[in-house]
Amino acid sequence: MPPSSSSWLLVRLPTLRSYLHNGMLAHARARPFTSTALQASKQLPPRRAIHDSDIEENFLKGSGPGGQKINKTSSAVQLKHLATGIVIKCQETRSRTQNRKIARRILAERIEELELGDQSRTAVKARLKSKKKASADKKKKRKYRALEAAKDGGEEDEVDEEDNTEAEIPTQETSPEDMKKGG
Amino acid sequence: MPRLAIALLRHAYTIDPLLPLLLRPCRTLAAAQNELRWLREHVDKLVQARRPVNRKLQQQPKALLRRLAVERASGKPLQYILGTEFFGELELRCQPGVLIPRPETAASVTHLSHLIQNAPALPSELRVLDLCTGTGCIPLLFDHDFSSARSDRRLQLLGVDISDKAIGLAHRNLARVRRWKASAGRGDVDFILADVLSNPFGDQTLDPPCLKAALNFNKKPYFWDIVIANPPYISPSAYWSTTTRSVRGFEPKLALVPPPRPGNNDTEQADYFYPRLLTAARDAEAKIVLLEVADLDQAMRVATMARRIAIFDGIEIWRDQPDQRNESAVGISAEFPVRGQGNARSVLCWRGLGATWLGRGRATKTSRTTRA
Ligand SMILES: C[S@@+](CC[C@H](N)C(=O)[O-])C[C@H]1O[C@@H](n2cnc3c(N)ncnc32)[C@H](O)[C@@H]1O
Repeated sequence: MPPSSSSWLLVRLPTLRSYLHNGMLAHARARPFTSTALQASKQLPPRRAIHDSDIEENFLKGSGPGGQKINKTSSAVQLKHLATGIVIKCQETRSRTQNRKIARRILAERIEELELGDQSRTAVKARLKSKKKASADKKKKRKYRALEAAKDGGEEDEVDEEDNTEAEIPTQETSPEDMKKGG
Repeated sequence: MPRLAIALLRHAYTIDPLLPLLLRPCRTLAAAQNELRWLREHVDKLVQARRPVNRKLQQQPKALLRRLAVERASGKPLQYILGTEFFGELELRCQPGVLIPRPETAASVTHLSHLIQNAPALPSELRVLDLCTGTGCIPLLFDHDFSSARSDRRLQLLGVDISDKAIGLAHRNLARVRRWKASAGRGDVDFILADVLSNPFGDQTLDPPCLKAALNFNKKPYFWDIVIANPPYISPSAYWSTTTRSVRGFEPKLALVPPPRPGNNDTEQADYFYPRLLTAARDAEAKIVLLEVADLDQAMRVATMARRIAIFDGIEIWRDQPDQRNESAVGISAEFPVRGQGNARSVLCWRGLGATWLGRGRATKTSRTTRA
């Protein structure tokens, strides 16, 4: 099920202010400011929920007749965020319901990246990951230096996750700067 | 069908030697890659299964994957190869001989459940009859969707089909859904064999029996609040010209094309189930009737039939995505409101309390306004 239209939009306070300033949001709820919540949000900002009225949803199944006449696995979902023009396509699974959920999650991440830049969940996550990787790399290097003489280049390639979800971020139509200026 | 470009096949081969096989039924590289990934996941699951289906093949996952890709290249639907299809939130078993459930049907059922799940004045037991049930997908999804939203009403659901195979599969799907942890369905669901086309006043010893006799024999009620049907609705000529090869070659014609009758033309044959379904709905004193159709022309004909029997207070047409805003109301006759986006997909009729359940006031006979 898609998030119901009554779901709240979760945003961090600075963004919330800019949204309200732009008159884009009537309802919003910030996290309660307990110290634990603050600490947690320093690690990872809360996930952002999306209103159904903020997006246009499309099920890509090609043109032509549907119903009994075709039996293609047509589980692809395309979401367009109206305010930013971001488009997400997803056919990760055979379940359309599941793809709708995945597409919404990724859209929320992309919007947040636009709004928060290096404060967004994905950016914070990536930093945590690259920190871990850096320290792992350091260890590895030390190890390799020790083994240097014996072997040459045993480093494995990191396998990319197979990516069936695409995001298109428009460059000219609406940039985050425009969003902040306008309204 | 146009031939695939050699360059595309070659490119596909360099990505994975099995991809050219899948390009044949899929046509695009992206679709072929998706199907290959799903086939691979399926093989992985088989290999890891505790109860091996076929020990020899299990030891040769590569050979198994190749065999499945070859089967798919012959046009066999992926759903029959993998053995399941998703229908709304449910994953249901599919097998050759029974029609694969379609996403448009799921969208209509989910939307109907959405409309009425918060309705006032629902009876303490809501009864849903699905004629031509196939895999049993419609009652099972309605049960799941409605019960997820509301637990203060009992549900009784019954699926009817002429095919032994379908009824057997529907029972297995019921058991499957009940085993599934995330399933919300709690209704009383059953499936019975009957021929919805045979005359209730004719020979009572027919096998399979007519609907009335089957209800009687199985001690089921005569009266149902909601009647839903996705009957065979394709005309013989459309069967040859508009269905895909995979449908024609692998899905049962019994589920797609109504039987011929002397004197019936192509269109009359396509529409053959609807008068019987409407009569059955009238006899069941249904408050809401939802009938799937092939396209806008058939929708208009069915809506007109429904109006002619003069028992309904409202009739409207739903498109593939009935829950979406309707932005292109152009070119549609003002006779029946048309809701949603995509191709015309079903006809909704209601009467009496049905209007309240659906949130359709008697005055709202105009189509919904478009977005501002
Ligand atoms: C288009 S399929 C729909 C199946 C299922 N409801 C779905 O949506 O996937 C039509 C079904 O009608 C059944 N059928 C065909 N003739 C029938 C008849 N005379 N009486 C009852 N069922 C019939 C077929 O066996 C088939 O399962």
